[in-house]
Amino acid sequence: MATAVPAILLLIAAASCTGARRGPTETEARLPPPAPPESYIGAQLCRACHPAVAATFAQTKMGRLFLNAPRDAKERHACETCHGPGREHMQAGGGKGKGGMISFARNDPTPIAVRNAICLDCHGKGDRLFWAGSAHATRDVACTSCHKVMENVSAKHNLAKVSEIETCGACHLQKRAQQMRSSHMPLREAKMTCSSCHNPHGTVSQALLKEPSANDTCYSCHAEKRGPFLWEHAPVPESCMNCHEPHGTNHEKLLKVSMPRLCQQCHVLAGHPGSPFGTDAPSLKFVLARQCANCHATVHGSNHPAGRFFAR
Amino acid sequence: MSIAPGPRLVALAALAVLLPVGSASAEVSLGAFNLEGDVEAGVRLLPDRPSPAERQKFEEYRDFTEGPFLAGLRLRIFTPDERYWLQATGSKWGQQDQEFGLDGGRLGRWSLDFSWDQTPHLLSTTARMLESEAARGVFTLPTPRPPLTDYNFGRRLDEVGVRWDTGKLSFVLTPTPEVELRADYTRIHKFGDRPIGMPFGGPGSNLLETLEPVDQTIHDLRLKAGVARERWQLQLGYAFSLFDNSHRVVTADNPCFGLPAAVTAAPPGCGADGVGAPPTGAVSLPPSNQAHSWTAAGGVNLPMDTRLTASVAYGLRLQNAGFLPQTVNAAIASPLLGLPARNLDGMVATTLVSLGAVTRPWGPLTLTAKYRYYDYNDVTEELQFAARALGDRVVIPDDVKALRPDYTKQNADLDARWRFGMPLSVTVGTGWERWDRNDKYREVPTSDEYFAKLVIEATPVEWLTAHLTYRPSARRIDEYNTWAHYTSLHLDPVTPAALAANQSPLLRKYDEGERDRHRVDLLLLIVPGERLSGTVSAGYRSDDYLRSPLGLQGATAWSAGTDVTLLPFEGLSVVAGYVREWIFEKQRSRSLAGQPDSDWISDNADTVDTAHVGLKARLSEALDWTLGASYSTATGTVKTRNGSPAGLAGAKRFPAFVDSLLRLDTALRYRFRDNWTASLGYVYETFSQHDWRSDTINPFVPAVGSSIFLGTTPHGYDAHILAMTLGYRFR
Repeated sequence: MATAVPAILLLIAAASCTGARRGPTETEARLPPPAPPESYIGAQLCRACHPAVAATFAQTKMGRLFLNAPRDAKERHACETCHGPGREHMQAGGGKGKGGMISFARNDPTPIAVRNAICLDCHGKGDRLFWAGSAHATRDVACTSCHKVMENVSAKHNLAKVSEIETCGACHLQKRAQQMRSSHMPLREAKMTCSSCHNPHGTVSQALLKEPSANDTCYSCHAEKRGPFLWEHAPVPESCMNCHEPHGTNHEKLLKVSMPRLCQQCHVLAGHPGSPFGTDAPSLKFVLARQCANCHATVHGSNHPAGRFFAR
Repeated sequence: MSIAPGPRLVALAALAVLLPVGSASAEVSLGAFNLEGDVEAGVRLLPDRPSPAERQKFEEYRDFTEGPFLAGLRLRIFTPDERYWLQATGSKWGQQDQEFGLDGGRLGRWSLDFSWDQTPHLLSTTARMLESEAARGVFTLPTPRPPLTDYNFGRRLDEVGVRWDTGKLSFVLTPTPEVELRADYTRIHKFGDRPIGMPFGGPGSNLLETLEPVDQTIHDLRLKAGVARERWQLQLGYAFSLFDNSHRVVTADNPCFGLPAAVTAAPPGCGADGVGAPPTGAVSLPPSNQAHSWTAAGGVNLPMDTRLTASVAYGLRLQNAGFLPQTVNAAIASPLLGLPARNLDGMVATTLVSLGAVTRPWGPLTLTAKYRYYDYNDVTEELQFAARALGDRVVIPDDVKALRPDYTKQNADLDARWRFGMPLSVTVGTGWERWDRNDKYREVPTSDEYFAKLVIEATPVEWLTAHLTYRPSARRIDEYNTWAHYTSLHLDPVTPAALAANQSPLLRKYDEGERDRHRVDLLLLIVPGERLSGTVSAGYRSDDYLRSPLGLQGATAWSAGTDVTLLPFEGLSVVAGYVREWIFEKQRSRSLAGQPDSDWISDNADTVDTAHVGLKARLSEALDWTLGASYSTATGTVKTRNGSPAGLAGAKRFPAFVDSLLRLDTALRYRFRDNWTASLGYVYETFSQHDWRSDTINPFVPAVGSSIFLGTTPHGYDAHILAMTLGYRFR
């Protein structure tokens, strides 16, 4: 593997150099062809017919940048940077669909890939590096499905709805419902958001997680469980989700199943766990309060020399 | 963890000074700068406040104190050309859950962002404790020990909880639109207490539920540099995370030490638990540790709509905290308890390599290929121990070595998507996931899971988009060595009898064993017009664990839900949604010698219903009305029955776990004098929870014997909250 990685990277670099001489790139292929300078009419003329939209856009971060402090020629086109040159639209007397404007509306005939390419033309770096091929990209999710560029609906990130949970929850209904469960992370209290753990624009991890693995994602806040420990509990370093459902459950500590049954899914014989543990008196020490963790308090791993069974 | 109302009053007084500044003009100019933003503050009343015992769930992650409060603040000062800005944000100042923010910068060039967030996590308001905390994490009892019944009259702990204070500082520099340099520093400080269990011996001995002192700090520094050109993008990153725990151990006196049965007021006394009982026990707390990570990622755009991406990340996790002694009980000192090292000197190296390719060789066809390699390599030395101190009570000779877990996980996916014009596209794909585990550490050295994927996306009419995904998979293993860990752990050969007592060869652990899985997901996006939109979602998952007569046998889950947004006319919007989830798992245990009741089957099921409705109405040009309601109820059942022979009744169903939360909120918002807003809001929340394991638990429960708990019991609550606010908009 150690030799394969540089080889693959070299291959990609070589492909990049070769590709540079062959033809248009993905973005170039999808973007509308460059327009002559005279086809642009400037933001002032756009504003004349679209005053309300222009006013709300001016309040956004992108609006402030494009309209007041553009950094290059592309940003100086302002409205036409994204919607395309407006002269034909203006000469046609305006109106929906006139002059080949890209409206980004849901019924815009412009393919979503082209619309997204326009956004990625500037926003292709940072968190969007792995957009192509990501779960949302392959499902034809438009940038404007989740983002509202023309006005400040949310406090940050120009989301289409007032919060991330509402934005993501528009499609992920079950995940949004899970935050209402009695055992939950502070999502409904607005102390966390979906993007605390996920990057919806694509990552190299499964489930669009921001970190290289599920555990690395959890460790960013729960670093006390990172270890390494003297005594490791075998399933823990592999995946926190073997036992926990992070979006919320109706069991203690975000567990997928209540203890002791959760532990008994693997520990069926060794020592005492094989007992059915019910409401009878001999069971109570094992099921009341912290259940199995009454004794096995360091179940995520113990650094105690006598902690082999996670009770120290 | 409470904050006096004083700081809140100071904070709000500062706002009161600001408001007249703003009221002077709707267009606020501060010389060379302009000012815009919003401030909203007011008074909150709780006419029916949950009792102290009911506060735990009511204020689990929030602070709902009565009195003045800051609903929200956002003030932005900027130059007239918008190039430079400085913005302050915040809410709930002076409360446990307050938030502050300050950011500034030059638009499109650089920005500096600071934020501060406090999140309480209240765990109990009903705990009782007889022990004294002589020092942090050191809990002592008088000698002779008090009767066990006295624990039910121990001092009441008003709050057991942990507060997280999170500070973040970010600097982003964009010298050109193509280049971005970024530095992020996050500090999370957790402090407080949380319950922890401490046994004084093996499974037959007594235990004490006490408090873990929490004073932990996480420092997280991330540096990232990125270049994005038309044809290629490159990112380099470094991350450092330091976890610092101020406490290494919690020690607590044993309630049964030296306490003969006769001393206890009511049966049962300590009985056998008092015989040879250790005076004190000690449980280790998470050791301080650190992690480093180096990342390089890039992408290139090639002809034929092709994009290749690659990412390489190498990480190190280090842990070198000193070991605690085997026991704090001097009475069982033994040369066998000597430690092989002063600390673990632990090191885990992780490697991630990810490659991706997306190409559209011609119009309707898109091909996607991904490969991911993740290696977890624990290079820590396997330390050997001659014995262990069981619960600080007895020395158990036990020649073992601390095995290290290693694994490699590989994933590969290949998808082909064909678009049949606008109305329909079909994706077929296949995937593979392999786990290679340390064969001394885990039961399954190698497992392969093969996936298939079928995705149909259809837009039969303009107002309907449907996504249907079917994803079956089959995980197969090369071998299952039931005693791999057990035999590798022990330095001496283990006897067949010991193996038989350790684990049943019939068990296949669910996270490693063979499994057939079927997953189906359906998503319908319905937009009949600009005034009506809806979503319908349904999901089904079925897991069948093969050749595993014991343990988890299978799991099935389905969910279905809908969400509708209606805008019947200008000034009115209505949203409504409902989701039902059902999760079922079946597991089985086996008979032990002399314990026929241990042959049992358990059907565990959770049913959760969640609904919400909301309404926003503009009653007049100046008056808005909002109304919302959300309701969630969950029922968990554990139906356990004996397997064979029939007629046994030792295994019984648990009483159901039930909880429900209802929240109603309504508010009137009145705008006046252009920039002012007054609001009057009312919230009603009611929560109930029934968990038989903790509904009526006292510190001393006679039926349990001599174990002592904190007596933490969850309580439902009813809360009525009234809030009046005044807001001002600077613009």
